[in-house]
This record gives sequence, structure tokens and C-alpha cells, in this order.
Amino acid sequence: MVEENSCVAVYDNHRQAEEAVRCLLAKGFETGKLSIAGKGYQREAHPIGFYNTGDRMKFWGAQGAFWGDLWGLLLGAAFFWVSGLGTVVIAGPLVSALITALEGAAVVGGFSALGAALYSIGIPRDSIVRYETAIRSDHYLLIVHGDQREVAQAHEVLAGGDARDVTIHLS
Amino acid sequence: MNPASAFFEESARCLKQSSLFSGLVASAIEDIVTRCRRETWKRRRQLPMEETWQRFHILLSGRVRLSRSNPESGRMITLFLLGPGEPFCIFSLLDGKAHEVMLETLDDVTLLSLPMSEARLWLDEHPEFNRKLLPYLGEQMCSLAGLASDLALHDTETRLARLILRHVDANTTDQHATPRLINDLSHEFLAEMIGSVRVVVNRQLQHWKQEGIVDAHRGHLEVEALQELARRAEEQPHKALA
Repeated sequence: MVEENSCVAVYDNHRQAEEAVRCLLAKGFETGKLSIAGKGYQREAHPIGFYNTGDRMKFWGAQGAFWGDLWGLLLGAAFFWVSGLGTVVIAGPLVSALITALEGAAVVGGFSALGAALYSIGIPRDSIVRYETAIRSDHYLLIVHGDQREVAQAHEVLAGGDARDVTIHLS
Repeated sequence: MNPASAFFEESARCLKQSSLFSGLVASAIEDIVTRCRRETWKRRRQLPMEETWQRFHILLSGRVRLSRSNPESGRMITLFLLGPGEPFCIFSLLDGKAHEVMLETLDDVTLLSLPMSEARLWLDEHPEFNRKLLPYLGEQMCSLAGLASDLALHDTETRLARLILRHVDANTTDQHATPRLINDLSHEFLAEMIGSVRVVVNRQLQHWKQEGIVDAHRGHLEVEALQELARRAEEQPHKALA
């Protein structure tokens, strides 16, 4: 089960998000405690999809290099069509929270499947609305899961970077 | 908090609307919000002050209770019930020490938090805040003095009436009023605010309900006869609020 304490950072673009992931890993944060979510960028000129080669998932699309690298770094990968948001790509333990939310039919009233997954990891409703809006506006969410001390340390690291917003959510 | 954050403006607006921070220039409010980090805590989160006293907190939404308990008897007394715009760990801000108090969130809360050293630095840079802080501290001291004297001098009916009156808008002239912050609390919780127990509070509220003084049912409390409640509190409403 994903720990119900988190530090959520919002980034304007995938380069900033990827840099933040690498920064956290360099500071000793575990890959199993990092998730990232963003909109799979869609244009008619860019077919989008994913496939499996051996033990690695590969992303096929305009941001293939970004998601391919992250899927290599983080545990878990998912690619969903979410009503109201479009294609949403996720890496990390948030994937299992999303699948649990979908399989358990625990989609909370008014939320998308992604919102339900965020709710299941202890993020309150008003923040979820903001995070869904951020995803819709092509921003990226980086989520650090952990105990209170770990998420506070993550905040220290992320607040010093390019994040548009960094919030701690404690259960 | 990054001023570009989607939460920055609403955090600043919440502070501007609070009695403690209202009247400060916008730049002073934006300065403290910039120094803070935003946190959310889930409902029913309990933590001792030893875990929180090194940071200064300002509530943006939801309620927090500060209480003390006796681990042997299990009895609890609520010292403060705080709402949006109110700070906590304020005594630690003043004396730099941890205090034996338990925090509990009554709702999902959103708050701003900053290290004590940053909060003191902000205070040094914005001495005009003291004009708001000192009266606020005076209110807090009065509230504690009121609680101590209520416990020592008054019976349960008077204490409960005074508690409700303290949470009624001082300017209301209507006989009907909805108490602020406490109107949806359980009878057990109300009992812990006046040093009593649930059955006694429940019996008193039922008695007042029959007399038409309050309307109390599960999770909801309304005052129906404010003047009569003030009489039961043995003082005028405005005195009780002082």
C-alpha cells in the first residue's frame, strides 16, 4: 500500500520534473517512493502508445524519451485515457493506487480516476481539484511518498528547485 | 511558497480576512506566505506538541484543538479550539520551548508552516504586526483565565452556557444564533471543553431543548433564546464574550 503522507510538486514542463526526480535520487531518495504524472501530449502528427521490449516498457510518442527514461528509473508505469483529462501517463507507486481505485470501484464522487488515486493516498479534495487542473494545463506532478520526516526532507529539496508549487500532505 | 503557486493568492487572502493578520500591508502578508510551506493534515490527526513546536503554524481552513489529558483517568480538557486565520505553537514562538499540549485536527485542515527562526525574523521585520499580536495574546490569556475560573467557580450549566456564548457573534441582536466553530461538535467534545462528561452535557442540552433555549440534535447546535442563555450564564452576552 502506498504511504499516506506525500509531498507533491507541480512543474511547468517535463524537463523540470525529470531534473527534480534525478535530484531526489541523487540525494538518496528511493525510486520506490517517487511517482510522476502528466498528460501524454497529443497531436495528430504524433501517434502515441507504449509497448514492451523484454523487461522495459517503452513509450511511443512526442515525449517518448522523457517517459521512457522515467519508466526506466521509477517502479510502475501506466498509460490511461482519463475522462476530462485525456491521456495521462504515470510512473511510480501512484500506478498501484490508481489501479486499486479503478478495480475497487472506489472512484470518489466528482473525481477522475487520477483524482481518486490521489484521494486514496491522502490528498484532500480541494488540492485534488488543483492538481487535476494542473495536469489538464499540461503541468506535471511529482509525488514523494513516505513518512513525515521523508516528505519534509523532500520539500526541502523540491522547494529549492523549479517547482511552481510544493505542498506536504500528512495523514 | 512560490508566488507563482496556484495556492499563493488564496493563502494570502485567507490571512487578510483573519482578525490577526487583517490590516497588515499586502507586502507583509505576501512576505510571510512566501516564507511558509503549505501543508494539509487529515481529519483526526493527533500529535503531541513535541512534534510541532519547532515550526509556527497558521490555519487556512478547518479546525484544530489544543488539549491536555490525564493518561491515568483518560480525562481531557480542551484549552483552545482554533479556526481559519488563527496560529498555533504561538507560546513556543514567544518562549522557544515545547509545551505539554496535544494537537488534534477536527477536519481536514490546510495550514501554512514555517520554522520558528523564520517566524521570529518576520516579526522583527514587521513590528507593526505586534499591534495585532498583543491584543490576540491578551484574548488567549483571558480565554485561559476564563476557563480556569469557570472550572473553579461555576456549575456545569453555567459553564456550558458560557462556552456557547463565547462562540456566538458578539454583535448579534437576534434571539437565534449559530455558535461559531462548535455548532457541529459531539456532546463528548463539548464536555471536554468545559471539564465535564458526555452524559451531563447531553442531559443539560436536552433540558434546554425542552425549555426552547437551544435546538440540539446529533451533530448540530443552535441557540433559540439567546437572552435566556445569557441569563443561565449569569451574565450579559457581551460580558460573556469579553
